[in-house]
Amino acid sequence: MHYLIIGNCAAGINAIEGIRKLDGSGEITVVSDEDFPAYCRCLITDYVAGTRKKEDLLYREKDFYEKNKVNLILGERVNKVDISRKEIILQSGKKLSYDRLLVATGASPKPLGIKGEEKYGVFGFRTLRDADEIIKLADETRKAVIFGGGLIGLKAAYGLKKRGVDVQVMVKSPRILSQVVDTQAAEIIGKWLQENGISIRTGVAPEEILGDKEVEEVRLDNGEKIPARLVIVGKGVRCNTSLVEDSPIKVHWGILADDFLQTNIEGVFVAGDVAETKDLVFDRNEVNALWTAACEQGRIAGMNMVEKVKKYPGSIGANSADFFGLAFISVGYVRVREEGYEELIRSNPQEYRYKKVVLKNNIMVGFTVINNIENAGVYTALIRKKADISSVKDILLEDYLDYPKVKDLLEEKEGLRESVSMEGEIIKIA
Amino acid sequence: MNKKEKRSIDKASQFMLERAEKECILTAWDRYEAMQPQCGFGRLGICCRICNMGPCRIDPFSEEEQTGICGATADTIVARNLGRMVAGGAAAHSDHGRDITHALLLAAEGKTDAYTIKDEVKLKKLAKEYGVKVEGRGKEEIAKELAEKIMEEFGRQHGYIKMPFRAPKKRVKVWEELGIMPRGIDREIVEMMHRTHIGVDTDYKNILMHGFRTALSDGWGGSMVATDLSDILFRSPTPILGRVNLGTLSRDEVNVVVHGHEPTLSDVVVYAARDPEIVKLAKEKGAKGINLVGICCTANEILMRHGIPVAGNFLQQELAILTGAVDLMMVDVQCIMPALSTVASSFHTKLVTTSPKNKAPGVTHVEFREEEAYDIAKKILKMAIENFPNRNGDILIPEHNQDLVAGFTAENIYNFLGGTYRATYRPLNDAIIQGRLRGLAGVVGCNNPKITHNYAHVEMAKELIKNDVLVVVTGCSAIADAEAELLRPEVAFKYAGKGLQEICEAVGIPPVLHVGSCVDNSRILIALTNVILEGGLGEDISDLPVAGAAPEWMSEKAVSIAFYFVASGVFTVLGMPFPILGSKNVTNFLCSEVENILGGKFAFESDPIKAAHLMIEHIDKKRKALKLRPLMYQ
Amino acid sequence: MKRVFVELDKCLGCHSCMIACAVEHSSTKDLFTAVYEKPLPRARIEVKAGKEGSNFPLQCRHCEEPYCVDACIAGAIRKDVKTGLVLADEEKCVGCWMCVMVCPFGVIRPSLLVGKQEKTAVRCDLCQDREIPACVEACPTGALFFGEIEDFKKAVSSRARREGNALSNNR
Repeated sequence: MHYLIIGNCAAGINAIEGIRKLDGSGEITVVSDEDFPAYCRCLITDYVAGTRKKEDLLYREKDFYEKNKVNLILGERVNKVDISRKEIILQSGKKLSYDRLLVATGASPKPLGIKGEEKYGVFGFRTLRDADEIIKLADETRKAVIFGGGLIGLKAAYGLKKRGVDVQVMVKSPRILSQVVDTQAAEIIGKWLQENGISIRTGVAPEEILGDKEVEEVRLDNGEKIPARLVIVGKGVRCNTSLVEDSPIKVHWGILADDFLQTNIEGVFVAGDVAETKDLVFDRNEVNALWTAACEQGRIAGMNMVEKVKKYPGSIGANSADFFGLAFISVGYVRVREEGYEELIRSNPQEYRYKKVVLKNNIMVGFTVINNIENAGVYTALIRKKADISSVKDILLEDYLDYPKVKDLLEEKEGLRESVSMEGEIIKIA
Repeated sequence: MNKKEKRSIDKASQFMLERAEKECILTAWDRYEAMQPQCGFGRLGICCRICNMGPCRIDPFSEEEQTGICGATADTIVARNLGRMVAGGAAAHSDHGRDITHALLLAAEGKTDAYTIKDEVKLKKLAKEYGVKVEGRGKEEIAKELAEKIMEEFGRQHGYIKMPFRAPKKRVKVWEELGIMPRGIDREIVEMMHRTHIGVDTDYKNILMHGFRTALSDGWGGSMVATDLSDILFRSPTPILGRVNLGTLSRDEVNVVVHGHEPTLSDVVVYAARDPEIVKLAKEKGAKGINLVGICCTANEILMRHGIPVAGNFLQQELAILTGAVDLMMVDVQCIMPALSTVASSFHTKLVTTSPKNKAPGVTHVEFREEEAYDIAKKILKMAIENFPNRNGDILIPEHNQDLVAGFTAENIYNFLGGTYRATYRPLNDAIIQGRLRGLAGVVGCNNPKITHNYAHVEMAKELIKNDVLVVVTGCSAIADAEAELLRPEVAFKYAGKGLQEICEAVGIPPVLHVGSCVDNSRILIALTNVILEGGLGEDISDLPVAGAAPEWMSEKAVSIAFYFVASGVFTVLGMPFPILGSKNVTNFLCSEVENILGGKFAFESDPIKAAHLMIEHIDKKRKALKLRPLMYQ
Repeated sequence: MKRVFVELDKCLGCHSCMIACAVEHSSTKDLFTAVYEKPLPRARIEVKAGKEGSNFPLQCRHCEEPYCVDACIAGAIRKDVKTGLVLADEEKCVGCWMCVMVCPFGVIRPSLLVGKQEKTAVRCDLCQDREIPACVEACPTGALFFGEIEDFKKAVSSRARREGNALSNNR
């Protein structure tokens, strides 16, 4: 049995481990378009900040591929997937055949879509190559302009600020984190960032990148011209689906996955940022391009590539970050725009504390917490379990809402993951 | 039930709790939650920190009997800890009594213009009791000698203190035979500290019997001194109308809260607040006047004597500040939460400590000296007035406030029960004998976040009066019942049984009688004695169809009070157990055996209705033993 | 694998386990000096309040299928195939709190560690340098137990038998 994996990041590596759980002997080949073995993409921030070295970014030990008997092909792009022949065609022209295929090609930063963005000095904030270029230029210019107020943009700004670079974040929306948290939380986080030296401007968008071959200036939509030699784009990602475009594999925003993370084509699986899966909170498919989702999907897809054993419960939008000591976590549905939802909020902006829980018919669908994050995972579990929290509603916002108070809501016979309780029972925990 | 309803039954308090939550200001309830879980060793009383070989704890689950390093068993450790709680509580009450005695002495010597002798009749009565000559002498002269004689009671080394001899003869005999007649008010506390030192008293019964003696030196000693001398100095209360709850705070007057226990402070402030200079100054600062209110027992003192409004009880002290309307809160001693300074920092409220025994870091201290009492009181009031214009933010005063009748004492029961013709307890005794009244109950004590604020006090009182038991209340319990409108005479028709209704209607009293502050629990002891003396209901307090309860107790003072009631022969139910359950023997002794020797015992029951019925069962048992007529209406 | 279990009815909530854990994870490993260390050591076990006033000591369960392993963006958390321990490489941790976000038990805590500027996610490591974890040793009622799940169950049932016998003997 030949397992072929396109993509060598979170999903790909976990898929290898998933396959090896059930099949110790089958052949595994991994194709990656990057030059570096699997690395922790999210740590780009720390790499740019200077708090982590390149070697520190490795996701697994150096001998991982050897130990797992994986044939690793680096630096090669996959152009096309030929379903009928069960073959993939690389950019170099080489062809590789497969018995089972996993598409884990991830996603790429969305371009700004404006004139001049191909000039040197405009980077996404995703790959190691991006990071190396950014570091080189940043150490020279000591200034950077970041477009995008989401987590990518802010993490880029944070990393650079720690490196000692002057950063200016420019956001089109009236506030930062418009896709992650609500207005109140965004205000608190924004204030903290500004107090720590990250300058934020809202309501502006770039219209043209000016300069010769290198970036010199950016013209904004209000006519203003900002001098800039280093521009970072954090405007979201687009799934890398081009390689399956001409194939019968169904694509929407991402490649569509069923409950076993298989595409509409038998034997072809999908996992990671390129996958569009069932969302645990919303009643629809989503691309939740998050590291933790990619890991879980990779592992389950890998196992199912050997034998269809495990259903994927669904992904969930969940983000956490720490900026200058302010920790925040946001999971599920928090930017409430529809009727029928109840929001419980406790806000203390002077102390940068915030907690919000969103309920629908007393079932948790989302929460945000700023500082006091210690029991956040318990809330996530309540969301995963779709638990009815009526019995603890009056203490739901308290810092002492913890596992023992809700354990009867979280444990069950059939469930998500196996653990061992304090009382010596094998339990399934949400 | 939502969170604020779980925390308090009082609407005004719920209103303030909502504000506290919204503005992220922590209260005692929040700190209680954060303290969970609380240490079981402490709760069971089996943690000992008395010497440096320790700290020790006894494993209650061990199959062998563990001991502390010195060899003390759980029985000894529990008894020692409880003994020290009695000592702590007695010390608080008795030290308060000492301060009042000192004030009487100053007044008698003319060293202060703030205190004068107001009740000459009671003065002369006490003088006679203490062998002080009364004929041909001015009141100051009598008072001076009396005060000196009472001062001696504190340091007495020979014989016994006098006040316990007021008790029925049979009761005094019980104490003498058991060897627990108190010898000196301070001495018993000192001896308790000595006995509980490492390597002294090991026998739990011996320790606890001394605990009863220590409590008696409080109830029939320090507290009784405080009550009697306060009546002499500040006047004996008579039934009076008042108002209670946070709604007594005012929007357009200078709100001055006096909190703590000693009327040597609060009573003077009452007069100083009426001083024309003060009123004028208040008006100059834009206020309509001074609104003086009280919290906790000092509130009860000035309510009983002057009808001053009570803003709240123990658990409401932070909530008062949370209204944003308190311009100044002055405190003296006992039950004052250190958290007040933190809560006050979110508002303009000025917090002032006045007693050298109670200072707090960062809090303004204006030391109150009795010699300059009036001037210092005015000084503090001026600080309050100066602070009035500093009101910032929203003033949120809940509209809830209730009116009440207070001011009942052991003495004035004679007057209004007997009516115009003669002062007598006869109608009360007759009511009990004939079965119109089942009996009497005293429901007293503190608040505690372990029990929904005011819930147990109110539910217990309602259940008792429903069953024709006349209820007397003191302290925070009285304030709780007042906030539930139980201190209004009309409420007899709503909640009381038919027998009690008839009495209330005839006499014009509420079914729940407010007899004062916590030291005024001594009034209940005298009242019970007077019932015995009136006749027909046995010869000892333990014969009476009465019971006591402290459903939400918190302080060591409550432990001392419970102990002196049991020592006086009264069955007493507590809403939460003492920290003694780590010793089965101590628990058994206090909840069962002790009834055979003292005629009274303890019980622990957190459900106030069940507790009320334990009391009713006991009262019925006593009625049967006295062969009284069956109840008229139950 | 050996884990820490608890007989809940024997837990008195004294927090001795928390103190012992913090001291064990301090630099000086002595109570009196540990309380003055900067940064203060943090306990990895916590006695939480269960429903109706019960006491619930809780630490990392070293789950069979850990959520935290998937969530760690630094790849710092792994389940050791041989020992079964779910261990975090505290050096690698970047303090992103994804593990805190997904742990249904809430047993991972942000903590300052010696030698690191920013906070690290810490959890119970079953005291790898000791034969018996510090918390288990410190428990004054023997509520905490260290061993295989079958051994724990045996201990519980034999205690039940002993107490049942004692009760019937007392009748």
